Amino acid sequence: MTSPDRRRRARLIVGLALGSAALLGVGLGAGSDGWSLDALWRVGSSPDAALIVGQIRAPRTLGAWLTGALLGLAGAVAQGLFRNPLADPYLLGSASGASLGVVLVLAASALSGHAISLVTAHALAHLGLVSAAFAGALLGVMLTLLLARGAQQSTRLLLAGVVVGVVLSAFSDLVTTVAPEAMRGKQAFLLGNTGFLGWGSCAALAIGVVAAGALSWRLARALDALVLGSDTAVSLGVHLQHTRLALVAVMALATGLAVSQTGLIAFVGLVAPHLVRRLAPAPAGYTVLASGAAGGALLLLADVLARTLIAPQEVPVGVLTALLGGAYLIWLLHRRAAT
Amino acid sequence: MLAASFDDPAPSWRPAAGGHVAVTAARVLRVGRHRTPSLAAGPARAGALPWPSVRPRTLARAITRVLASMLALWAGASLAAPADTLHDDRGEPVVAGPPARRIVSLLPSLTESVCALGACDRLVGTDRYSNWPQSVRALPKLGGLDDAQVERIVALHPDVVLVSTSARLAERLEALGLKVLALDSRSHADVKHSLFVLAQALGLPAAAQPVWDAIERQTRAAAERVPATMRGRRVYFEVDTTPYAAGAQSFIGQTLTRLGMTNAIPAVLGAFPKLNPEYVVRLQPDIVMAGQLELQTMAQRPGWGALRALRERRSCGFASDRYELLVRPGPRMGEAAAVLADCLAALSPRTDGSP
Amino acid sequence: MSELSVEDVSVTLGQTRALTHVSLTVRAGWTAVVGPNGAGKSTLLRAMAGLLTPHAGRVKLDGQSLSRWSRAERARRLAWLAQQSDARGELTVREVVQLGRLPHLGLFTAPAPHDEAQVDRAMADAECTAWQDRRLQELSGGERQRVLLARALAVGAPYLLLDEPTTHLDPVHQAALVRVIRRQVRQDVRVLSVLHDLSLALLADRLVVMKGGRVHAQGARDEPALHAALVEVFDGAIRIVRVDAQWVALAHWDGA
Repeated sequence: MTSPDRRRRARLIVGLALGSAALLGVGLGAGSDGWSLDALWRVGSSPDAALIVGQIRAPRTLGAWLTGALLGLAGAVAQGLFRNPLADPYLLGSASGASLGVVLVLAASALSGHAISLVTAHALAHLGLVSAAFAGALLGVMLTLLLARGAQQSTRLLLAGVVVGVVLSAFSDLVTTVAPEAMRGKQAFLLGNTGFLGWGSCAALAIGVVAAGALSWRLARALDALVLGSDTAVSLGVHLQHTRLALVAVMALATGLAVSQTGLIAFVGLVAPHLVRRLAPAPAGYTVLASGAAGGALLLLADVLARTLIAPQEVPVGVLTALLGGAYLIWLLHRRAAT
Repeated sequence: MLAASFDDPAPSWRPAAGGHVAVTAARVLRVGRHRTPSLAAGPARAGALPWPSVRPRTLARAITRVLASMLALWAGASLAAPADTLHDDRGEPVVAGPPARRIVSLLPSLTESVCALGACDRLVGTDRYSNWPQSVRALPKLGGLDDAQVERIVALHPDVVLVSTSARLAERLEALGLKVLALDSRSHADVKHSLFVLAQALGLPAAAQPVWDAIERQTRAAAERVPATMRGRRVYFEVDTTPYAAGAQSFIGQTLTRLGMTNAIPAVLGAFPKLNPEYVVRLQPDIVMAGQLELQTMAQRPGWGALRALRERRSCGFASDRYELLVRPGPRMGEAAAVLADCLAALSPRTDGSP
Repeated sequence: MSELSVEDVSVTLGQTRALTHVSLTVRAGWTAVVGPNGAGKSTLLRAMAGLLTPHAGRVKLDGQSLSRWSRAERARRLAWLAQQSDARGELTVREVVQLGRLPHLGLFTAPAPHDEAQVDRAMADAECTAWQDRRLQELSGGERQRVLLARALAVGAPYLLLDEPTTHLDPVHQAALVRVIRRQVRQDVRVLSVLHDLSLALLADRLVVMKGGRVHAQGARDEPALHAALVEVFDGAIRIVRVDAQWVALAHWDGA
């Protein structure tokens, strides 16, 4: 590794760390009256400020970073696994599986609103949505694996993922025709929402980030070997089936966790690895972890903007990630065209 | 949970002011109206003025007059009809031709309005969400605004199809030769306008006013039932868990205002703003209103446990059928006002003196 | 004594019989596998590398069937170079060559100084040390080929299976490749390479002539019987002549 390479990688990590820290600080001050330092200064004195900053802003800000990190990690793994720079973490049916899970819970609580007791409904409503999304995401990926008959070939896996995505979307549309009350909740889910991330969510997300990060870092060398071709990877002793399955599992868990907490947020998983590869090309181990950090920073930036642009109203965070990500990709294309 | 009857854009009720301008311009220039192409249908209300014997002194003056009259004609044509013809919310005039006998309604509030005007038997099909009155449930269901079954609609041979202004369906149906009325329903004014337009289209122009009067009456009666201690309290009405709230400009907000309540959300934010959850906590509204299920889990949102309104149970949780009534901008708004008033009255003994 | 051999191996790919009753032992030195298109040369190499399972017969390594060896052991003993590589990516040359140490390191162990030394040696052998910090995608086809060859050398395996290593290589680089192979042979590596360039193949120690999924003939490069077999397998379209102490295959067209 040469000095320029090493320096670039170090610079990127430091940049992402500093950027994330700065954004975390900004996030604590970003609230329903735009960005203000007042709430921060008043933290000690007024119980209200402690509540606002400590109970609402802090977990939301941290949670946004953690969710972005999960998506960035999963995106980097997806792009390495499929050797396709357009791959994103939702490719294997996790997105449509999660939204189907959400729709089923919403429909169930709406349809049997009279039959089930309020206590059950209350438990179903909150805990149900989160677990339903998570379970749905995992089931979606399992269906994909089943359809592709294991993770033998990436093309087959990709196709199966597309098919499962389409079919599960169709099912959730079907459910919303039967129970139209679920439609609104489904749309809200599809737009993504970081608004209700509490400390409980942060804990779950943090565990996910550590687990997914550690696992994918370990498996990263296999991703590098895959760059040379699957046959070469096999000849180097890589157990292709097992490695692919493990990587798919990491993707599924990371995506499922992210989606269950904040709904579907697009572009973060796609753009974060691109950014990293552009700024500091490196083997997969570094790329995957740096993509996590980049994804965290990206989603956090989008969340802060979402809160401050039209305060006290909020722009849906998925819209902002699409704008930020899309702008970056356009700039990238422009650069390519110019060279 | 929002019913599908909500539209997004701002209300666009344009009174037929354009007609006034055209007539005035025509009279000033003494150009006969009977010369204009038949713009708005129906009998020409402004009487035909005699074609003036124009004796311009110079050619220039003649040309000026001709050009000006052409301008007036164009203005008249684009601003349409005789003064008292109504337009739907796209600006299309309502033809006062034969009353519509077969009606398809793709908005539950408009379905209810048609029935309130006494023309329930003329409905031949509705959207999937229309469910009041009971008789409407037996009618063919034609999908929603975004996925309406166009073939079935056409097969029903309706005289008019009722949609919202935000549906792309209107052009499609018109291209197929159907008559379409697009009506907004964001505010009380919209509801009133819709009633009058519908009454005109149904050939029952006198039916609208009594319906509107009934709504007004019920709302006033409901306002009287709201205890004095509750008046002026700040209400937060949540329409979606994102959270979306009902602002003062929405029909729900306007009803609350009529009941003597204040909206916790400032009017400047619009009809249904999407809020930062933190904002609601900081507002500390006096009363929280939402669907029953949503209210149950509201306190679990990060920081919302601190909402005094929730802790002290100064909240109204509506069961789904009641909630549906509240969020439908139709002829039952008076009933909705009554439901709100009942809840406020029930809360009264529980509130202590200070907000 | 290390030995790699195939015994009566038959491989079916889809509907076609790619290999039929092939028996072969890889001897010391450099063996070139030649034959017309579709003769099954690449398939043979893949079977020997353990990338395919023959439906009949066995591939044996050191007296034991290949399937009995663990993946890691197999990878440490058999280094395989693919015919075509669509390798892209931001890896530097050195990082690519380092992947050759995977069979020894597995997924989890960090490279030791010994591994780095092997990598250096492989790059020196393949004559690509000068580019070790350049990215793979910046190199030309020929340069990339040498880097991938270095990757195969870095494995340090006693058997080197090269599938068409001369693709994209101009004569200068082809000569370099021969040097590399000779250097490996001197280090007691047994090289088996599929080559379609017959003149190049005739620089090897032994040749295996294949046609239609079978071994037609095999022998030392100087044997006249081998030359006759070559001419026969190519339907008389070639002539083998001796030029400057080298055997050369010339195109031989009737009426030309």
